[in-house]
Amino acid sequence: MAPSSTEHPRRRHAIDLDDFSSTEIEEILTTAESMKEVLSREIKQVPALRGRTIVNMFYEDSTRTRISFELAARALSANIVNFSARGSSVEKGESLVDTVRTLQALGADIVVIRHSQAGAPYLVARHFRGSVINAGDGRHAHPTQALLDLFTIRERLGQIHGVHVLILGDIIHSRVARSNLWGLTRMGARVTLCGPATLLGPPAYWTATWPEVRVSYHLDEVLSSADVVMALRLQKERQQAGLLPSLREYTRLYGLNPERLARLGERVLIMHPGPMNEGVEISPEAATAPNAVIEEQVTNGVAVRMALLYRLAG
Amino acid sequence: MRYLIRNGSIIDPTQRVATVGDVLVTDGKVERLFEIADRAAEQHMVGDDVEIIDARGAVVAPGFTDLHAYLRQPGEEHKETIASGTLAAAHGGFTTVCAMPTVYPTHDTAATVRLVQELARREGHVHVDVVGALTVGREGRALADLAELAEAGCIAFSDGDRALSDSALMRHALTYAAALGLPVMSLGQEARLSAGWAMHEGAVSTRLGLPGFPAAAEEALIARDIALAELTGAHLHICQVSTAGGVSLIRAARARGVRVTADVSPHHLTLTDRWVLGSLAAHDPPPPPQSRPGRKRSPHPELGLPSWFDATRLPPYDPSTRVCPPLRTEEDLEALAEGLRDGTIDAIATGHSPQSRVEKECEYGLAAPGISGLETALALVLSLVHRGEMDLVDLVARLTEGPAQVLDRSPATLRPGARADIVIFDPDATWTVDATRFVSRGQNTPLHGQRLKGQVLLTMAGGRIVFRRDRAGTPEAAPAP
Repeated sequence: MAPSSTEHPRRRHAIDLDDFSSTEIEEILTTAESMKEVLSREIKQVPALRGRTIVNMFYEDSTRTRISFELAARALSANIVNFSARGSSVEKGESLVDTVRTLQALGADIVVIRHSQAGAPYLVARHFRGSVINAGDGRHAHPTQALLDLFTIRERLGQIHGVHVLILGDIIHSRVARSNLWGLTRMGARVTLCGPATLLGPPAYWTATWPEVRVSYHLDEVLSSADVVMALRLQKERQQAGLLPSLREYTRLYGLNPERLARLGERVLIMHPGPMNEGVEISPEAATAPNAVIEEQVTNGVAVRMALLYRLAG
Repeated sequence: MRYLIRNGSIIDPTQRVATVGDVLVTDGKVERLFEIADRAAEQHMVGDDVEIIDARGAVVAPGFTDLHAYLRQPGEEHKETIASGTLAAAHGGFTTVCAMPTVYPTHDTAATVRLVQELARREGHVHVDVVGALTVGREGRALADLAELAEAGCIAFSDGDRALSDSALMRHALTYAAALGLPVMSLGQEARLSAGWAMHEGAVSTRLGLPGFPAAAEEALIARDIALAELTGAHLHICQVSTAGGVSLIRAARARGVRVTADVSPHHLTLTDRWVLGSLAAHDPPPPPQSRPGRKRSPHPELGLPSWFDATRLPPYDPSTRVCPPLRTEEDLEALAEGLRDGTIDAIATGHSPQSRVEKECEYGLAAPGISGLETALALVLSLVHRGEMDLVDLVARLTEGPAQVLDRSPATLRPGARADIVIFDPDATWTVDATRFVSRGQNTPLHGQRLKGQVLLTMAGGRIVFRRDRAGTPEAAPAP
């Protein structure tokens, strides 16, 4: 059972959506609507976080998430500093904990962390007096991506409750899938995970934590009932690791191609967290179809991150 | 020096004794056991020159033998030394510790073996046996000079925390060791199946997004090693079995006469992969019941539910829960307890793996595996007795007689004339684990702050008191010099 927002009157960290109640998610999405309005103005800035210092701590390459947080922080008038693992003290062997203590001493109020190791944000949170926002940790979680996905679904379909979301592809390695599982199930959506068995694992691994989730290895059996199809990036290393016979076979069985696009109907949303491998998990036709909302997801990401920053520090 | 240990509940599996009485120790040896009825004879034999040790309400048993401990010296003295590790052993009731070859340089020459033996003689608090390296540098490429190591006094061969991948070399190692009359100790970890692992593969690793070490990776290697033991007739010892499947494989092999023995650690008997969730487990529904029907488990409300210890005290992804093999599931725990009960698993071995803060205060997947286990071992395994899952005499046997049988030596015993390796413990004393007060240099334990039941009061090694706790006061006592 999710802790209710009354138990946590003020949220300190956002590490995963597992401790967000549906009420709190609703509130953030509603705040994000106002933020989106701010972003549509000519002067895209409000003074909500003036004087606050946010550090973008990126231990993994990222373009869109880092820039999205940067724009969100600036739109709220916060100071934001970028820190990337390359060329920093990390290369000299400084531990994550030491780095966090240093940032603390420098006066950071919020740390936004992207890290290749699952659970790293919890370690940061233990050694940092301010707030920690997870911008993606290993295969574990990417809560702001899930929030922006929820926002996009709500905006386009009017609601999340009862919507059938098909998450498609490399589920087992995906932090986006896991955070969306928390967020979508908490908001009352129906979720189906679909992908090759090697990239999904046994269904019981998932249903133990998310009992209402459905697992399928056959896209064409579940595609027609979907209201949203969320395709995940397929990393080409998966084939080299022996998890897939070939990219050709993957694309044939699980790719969002023009034939499947035609079967989906025009109201079904096509989503992708990016970056896309066009021609592998999604065809260019599907990515640019009128019902594809991939660019809107990116736009909404800034508004949702503003809403979250505001909730933690406003 | 003479000691009279009075009024203890004497448990000696070798004599099938469980009685209240006294133990007289003279000049480093057990002189005699007295039952209450023998008091007259006792007064006659014992003069005034004897120190009385009051063991009322406590258990008096032969000292424990640990088949699997990492003492880290030479090479990693910031984690542990032979002095600190054997003192931790004394605090845990162990009077013999087998030092694994995960040291630098490793035990692959008589010279390093003698160095360890010499350090143990000069600085050790309890007896140390040396496990020789199986391959040169523990690299898995060429056999170490096993005969030389045997002559130097090694009691078994192992590459420590590394499994030997090369099956042909493992066959040769078993054949060669058999001719020397010594066991090969193997840890069940198939390298490719467990590559990049952070924890047990299952529902919890899936939720946390951590790469898994599937049970099959252990079972595959155990199955291979059993087949090779069958082929060679050698004595194979499986270290730190952690899976239900592993227990089944060992049980079936023993039933058809394969010479395979096994040990299990206290943490694999009592903690599950849900400990990696830490506080995240607090909001979770309880795991589905997997108990077999008819199994008795008396809940102990004083220590909390659902299990005995409270995993939710830990933060999520606490590296203190990272250990090799990883903590498994409730189902595995039950199979391990069953294996320990029916004798499929001969011994409890701590797998004591002290690590420094540097190796543990980091991201979960980058943390060095290991639990500093000597000082909490007894209390953890006593939980099986308190839950009604195991008989106390059988449990003591798995800490004394069992490991001795694995090493093919006469077990620690309280028979007259035996070396006075004795432990006195209170099975019902509750205490709170404070890792900062461990005498081991490794404070890496997931049990910090947990309340445990069962505490060592006194440890005697070779007739010398190497650890003693003040029963009346706080659980601290000055270590023996």
